[in-house]
Amino acid sequence: MKQTLITEQTVIEEVKKGVAETLNIDKGSIKPEHSLMKDLDAESLDFLDITYRLEQTFGIKMARHFVLEHVEQLFGEGSAINEDGQLTEKAVELLKIRAGGDLPKEIRAGMDMDEVPALVTVQTMARGVMDILDSLPKACTSCSNAAWKAEDGIHITCGSCGAHATFDNGDDLTKAWLTKVQEEKKLF
Amino acid sequence: MGRRAYLVQADLAVKASVKHMFSEIREKCGRLDFLILNAAKAPFKPLEQLFERELRQLVETNFIGNIFCVQEALPLFGESGGKVVFISSLGSRFYNVSYPLGTMKAAMESAVRDLAESLSSTKISVNGVCGGIVKTDSFKVLRQLWEEVAQIPDELFVEPDEITDAVLFLCSEASRGMRGQTIVVDRGLSNRLHRPIPEMQKNKSVT
Repeated sequence: MKQTLITEQTVIEEVKKGVAETLNIDKGSIKPEHSLMKDLDAESLDFLDITYRLEQTFGIKMARHFVLEHVEQLFGEGSAINEDGQLTEKAVELLKIRAGGDLPKEIRAGMDMDEVPALVTVQTMARGVMDILDSLPKACTSCSNAAWKAEDGIHITCGSCGAHATFDNGDDLTKAWLTKVQEEKKLF
Repeated sequence: MGRRAYLVQADLAVKASVKHMFSEIREKCGRLDFLILNAAKAPFKPLEQLFERELRQLVETNFIGNIFCVQEALPLFGESGGKVVFISSLGSRFYNVSYPLGTMKAAMESAVRDLAESLSSTKISVNGVCGGIVKTDSFKVLRQLWEEVAQIPDELFVEPDEITDAVLFLCSEASRGMRGQTIVVDRGLSNRLHRPIPEMQKNKSVT
């Protein structure tokens, strides 16, 4: 269910904090639209550190694989990335759906897949966290009561039994979304 | 540290790129004394789930690329010879979740033995160092793939300096009696099948 206990602004601030601590830069200099790689000089291993910090902060498990890797696992090698390691037309169409219509102009068919991580911004990372938080079940899995609370604005716990909230992991959510999109759009 | 250091970027999977790197070395230094094969790149997925392009990258970077480096280094060693040290990991001998790189480490440990023997009539020695769980940046990957790593006692985590000390040994005259060997530096992690978890280690998070 779409939860309202943790705001997107809170998540953005925590992403900024995670990025600042990982890259050893001033949190105040980070903007939501900043690309982690192009604007903040993050490397691939830094992504892992940042996601680890966010997982520990919110009690979630973020996706281990990019959406296009899941496309290839579900619909076959070559469906999203061609034999030259470039994005296919269908991959771009899918990314457009995922972005809600607007895509950065750099994303185009024929783009090298290794350039895609450079497009991840603080905002897109926060969106990934929000998607996971929105998988909060209606009721607590321990006591079945619907009494969620987040007293510190970050950790969701059951107001009835105190259990920590559990969420779907990022990879499962991505696969579920892809399955739904495929049923509707028949892209692949 | 009082040393000159040059950075040359190369894609090990591309022979022309490796050739360019070694031509830069020849131009700047004239010769080579030590070749340390440390670079690696691999996806973290089960072997049977790798796409064709990922399998090819796995082999081309982590096996073929290292052989390219040895081939290009040989003429630079010259009459004084040289030392080749390959950096391996315990994934060469034991299964690690989503770690297909281990298969290439195993192949390279075999190549270390092969090269050591085929180059035995020269002054070029070839050996390897097999690291345990080393707290480098790559540990961040392990932490996300293998949550149980938090239960490994702290004293079993290898410091990077302990790996480099073994490499320095293999680059020194003190290792002149060794040929085609891969030294395990893992603080004893691989000695036992079972290890009790100390009470203080339970439920600790790894940072």
